[in-house]
Amino acid sequence: MAMTARQRAKVSLYVQAGIFVVVLATVILAVDWKTIGTSVFNFAKIGPMFPDIFLVGLKNTLIYTALAFVVGLSGGLLLALMKLSTFPLYRWLATGYIEFFRGVPALLVFIAFGYGVPLAFGVQWDVNIVVMVSLGMVASAYIAETLRAGLQAVPKGQMEAARSLGMPQWRAMVSIVIPQAFKIVLPPLTNEIILLTKDSSLIYVLGLTASQYELTKFGRDGISSLGAGLTPLLVAGAFYLVITIPLSLLARKFESRSARTKR
Amino acid sequence: MNDVVNSTVRAAGVNIKDLRKSYGSNEVLKGISLTVEPGQVVCLIGPSGSGKSTLLRCVNLLEQPNAGTINVGKFEATDPDVDLNKMRQSVGMVFQHFNLFPHLSVLDNCTISQMKVLKRSRSEASEVARHNLERVGLGHLADRFPDQLSGGQQQRVAIARALSMDPQLMLFDEPTSALDPETVGDVLAVMRKLAQEGMTMLVVTHEMGFAREVADRVVFMDAGVVVEEGPAENVISAPTQPRTKEFLRRVLDPTHIGVEEA
Repeated sequence: MAMTARQRAKVSLYVQAGIFVVVLATVILAVDWKTIGTSVFNFAKIGPMFPDIFLVGLKNTLIYTALAFVVGLSGGLLLALMKLSTFPLYRWLATGYIEFFRGVPALLVFIAFGYGVPLAFGVQWDVNIVVMVSLGMVASAYIAETLRAGLQAVPKGQMEAARSLGMPQWRAMVSIVIPQAFKIVLPPLTNEIILLTKDSSLIYVLGLTASQYELTKFGRDGISSLGAGLTPLLVAGAFYLVITIPLSLLARKFESRSARTKR
Repeated sequence: MNDVVNSTVRAAGVNIKDLRKSYGSNEVLKGISLTVEPGQVVCLIGPSGSGKSTLLRCVNLLEQPNAGTINVGKFEATDPDVDLNKMRQSVGMVFQHFNLFPHLSVLDNCTISQMKVLKRSRSEASEVARHNLERVGLGHLADRFPDQLSGGQQQRVAIARALSMDPQLMLFDEPTSALDPETVGDVLAVMRKLAQEGMTMLVVTHEMGFAREVADRVVFMDAGVVVEEGPAENVISAPTQPRTKEFLRRVLDPTHIGVEEA
């Protein structure tokens, strides 16, 4: 009567697959397809979203993400170098900055820089500037930690060899250590871009004109203007995947490549 | 340009006086004095942990000594105001693990510092680099990347990289210890040639054959002090100190140890 280990494993697999099928069937039967078809995902309402979802939503999401990434990468590199500095003041400043901006919700940073700072200093900021500053500052906190890990992963002998050839510290950093660190952090850095892409949706808290809408805001606006239930938002969500899935694939490619070149 | 391609060297000497170095309470160099005349080859031998690598690394200030003075050519390395980068340009360093720059081709490994530090043009730097790669017998591998080379080839590239800065002194930190046995000979041959050309060389090594053949002087260190020094034939072939005798017996006849300790 007793089963062999292999038989037991087989039975266990069948049981797991069975549970999966039952759950799936329950969901499909329980769902109100009629309501979904009219007000959650209505195919007829997708058409009117084009081509603006490309020309406005997707375009602005890409622009905001790119701006924030440029600020985040340069700020992150500066913070990472500060964190590795031998001068304690730099280390404390960088640590304080990183802990603060990783600790507070990005949404609050958006509100602070979108409303607070312009009020406090009596300035009018362009949306692009607000995105660059707020999202860029949050991003630089995260990217700083990634880069610091990358810089520390470069063997100490590389710096020693560069210094032995007469290079000053900064030159050794720029020409020898940083290029190698970037190769190491390429996969995690790609993940940071994915996070940034999604965080750019937080801009909805700012007052935007229609031409400044990014994907999420575009979708939310579509809900009221098209009267299509949740459809526009779901389509906008799908467009995020258009950006993030290729990035994931890219990150995986970097990962396998750096794994191959490792000695 | 001419004095660059010409393989005779302007050699610098080294003068070390009463050098001390501690890591915390652990004193690894306990007052070392050592002189290397310009053009001389001095081999540092001794058991691991004896401080010989630390001594070598102090010469170009990869380690900061706690006391004592080091003079390298016209530079006083231990002077706090010394232009460290300027001094290091004249001191070539070869590491146990090569430390080639993996993101640069063999040629670029040899040109980057010439261009960034000595401000040579790309074409001049390449010419110097190719000349030095020829010197170590690897001119044909200039376009490869370090991870495509064997250990022995990598170490010879590292020597060419150091030579491309026109050093007046070369430091070797166990240059053959990380190599497969069959590639050791090529590296030693390059070093032998360099010695014959009149380069000042300070070499930490376990290759007793090389030391006996090439070194003008051999220095035996143990536990942070110089135990015995002199011409190679004296120190290696006829040591006077018991610690030197014991070390050499173990190194020259390793099979002996197992029998005795069993």
